[in-house]
Amino acid sequence: MARPLEVSTGSKLEMIQRVLRRSPTTDSDTGTESDSAVAVRLEGVTHSYGSAGGQLRTDRDRTVTALRDVTLECQAGDIVGLKGPSGSGKSTILHAIAGLLVPADGTVELLGTDLTSVTDRDRTRLRRRHVGIVFQRFHLLSSLSARANVALPLVQAGVPRSTRRDRAETLLEEVGLEDRTDHLPGELSGGECQRVAIARALATDPDVVVADEPTGELDTATGSDVLELLTDVGRERAVVLASHDDDTLAVADRVITLRDGAVISDGV
Amino acid sequence: MLSVTLLASLGAGVVDAGEDGLDTAGRDIWISGDPVDTSTGGGENSIVGSHEIARDVSEREDVSGASPIAMHEIYVGTEPDELRRLPAVGVQRTHAGFDFEEGGGFETSEDAFADGRTTEPATEEIVLDPAVADELGVSVGDTIYVGTSRETAPDAEFTVVGTSSYYSQFLGSETATLALTDLQAITGTTGTDRATFITANVTDDADQDAVRDDLEAEYPEYDVHTSDEQIGAMLADRPVVIASGFTLVGLAILGGTVLTVNLFALVTYQQRTELAALRAIGLSRWLLAGTIGTQGVVIGVLGGLIGLAATPPLAAGLNYLSASVVGFDELLQTPLEVYAVGLGLAIGLGAVVAAVTGWRAGQYARIEHLEE
Repeated sequence: MARPLEVSTGSKLEMIQRVLRRSPTTDSDTGTESDSAVAVRLEGVTHSYGSAGGQLRTDRDRTVTALRDVTLECQAGDIVGLKGPSGSGKSTILHAIAGLLVPADGTVELLGTDLTSVTDRDRTRLRRRHVGIVFQRFHLLSSLSARANVALPLVQAGVPRSTRRDRAETLLEEVGLEDRTDHLPGELSGGECQRVAIARALATDPDVVVADEPTGELDTATGSDVLELLTDVGRERAVVLASHDDDTLAVADRVITLRDGAVISDGV
Repeated sequence: MLSVTLLASLGAGVVDAGEDGLDTAGRDIWISGDPVDTSTGGGENSIVGSHEIARDVSEREDVSGASPIAMHEIYVGTEPDELRRLPAVGVQRTHAGFDFEEGGGFETSEDAFADGRTTEPATEEIVLDPAVADELGVSVGDTIYVGTSRETAPDAEFTVVGTSSYYSQFLGSETATLALTDLQAITGTTGTDRATFITANVTDDADQDAVRDDLEAEYPEYDVHTSDEQIGAMLADRPVVIASGFTLVGLAILGGTVLTVNLFALVTYQQRTELAALRAIGLSRWLLAGTIGTQGVVIGVLGGLIGLAATPPLAAGLNYLSASVVGFDELLQTPLEVYAVGLGLAIGLGAVVAAVTGWRAGQYARIEHLEE
């Protein structure tokens, strides 16, 4: 198991060094050996929306059980697919991995650190440094160029402007958008927007990438390009991919099937 | 922004028109009977024995000179049966401030003061507003009929010696200028020697306020003002116009602010899911508020600068329109202060927009909005 993270030492300098480090195979920040370590582990996770433990305070009047005793793990270098119909708990698992919610019961370990036992501030810090998120609807700021959208997480990290710019351009080049750096999201196709979103997710060089229906808004051909890109990303990181589409899940090394918040099969 | 600078230009133009008429004349003290209503194109000639008062005033040690000014409606024309009514100003002489478009001015002939004062026009020279000269089809050197009624006008012929819109700007309508004694002669007020104002200049070392107080004591039946007060007194006669001007500027500022802020608030609202997503990624509310707010201030200031840049050509266009339609030249004036106020407002508005949109962005940057 990976050594627990020192969450309180997340200085800007470390982040800058991290960003400058290209294609890491080991995490000098934590000493984790990425290839063999467990990046994500959920153990006995139960969560209900409307319960006291949640940050997502939707539908408070009714309690909806989103996860029931979910246990799973994902190693660095793995692409794990989450399969299931709407409401089966896929997004909730992704939110739990990203530290966006604290489950009512169970533990969520990210690189060996139990996210349920740290403060909100530390969860946010861990998410910034170790988790990249890819959304179904891209969620790019329409008024910023592709480069500025990619660089935005680096602003938060305190990375100098010229470094941010270089890093964003390099990432856009890696996702095949080197000639689209100055374009606004409105001037890009859906596939290109998702590539920008993936580049943004990789800006801080995260150890774990969570992707929620990343091809949901894309046609089949564009979707397969994006999946290929995510597969490349997955060679160095742990990727957790939620989808109800079998073609999308075909790129996963392992598919976990969910129904009504419970794991009904883990394709180990 | 544009509406604010244009309205401010209009305000500056209105005040400036009044000030020009007074300041260019270079007069420090104004003695008048009743409040002067320039909006009707003329005033009551309520000062009696104006030349004597002017002479008495000018003999004071602290006064360097004084002269009467009268206003009256007259008829002018090239044919006895084609006469046009317009306000006329009677002065002793024209001066450099007239800025003649053609020709020059006049000085009251010595003959006017022969045998006391003559009841017939003696100088017989007149300065017309360029638009009136055009309308009558006359130019410098031509003669026209001048009188106080259609019946009496054919009795007197004056030579057009110059064209100038100097008093037109002051009175707000096309105006003729002629010798005061001639105006009194044709209006039949030579005997009572009536005038609207007596203006005086104080000596360099004299205190305007002290001279005013002395003259006020000496002529209690008249109002005595310094030039600054005179502008105030004239503006006070137009409270509705002034109030309207300020109201329009106020509404322009308020309307512009509300519209801009509302627009940015809506744009921010539309981006709420993006903001929530970025919050989920780990960006702080402050960073998001700063990013959106910076856009607000940049767009606010850019919009302001574009508004400022568009002000001169639009003001020139409106001036051309006002000159051709109502004959009022330079109605909109754009002194540096107008641009300074405009720029200050643009930056201020940008800051307000930035603050509001930044704050809204912070409100929307919540994970809950990701679920929408």
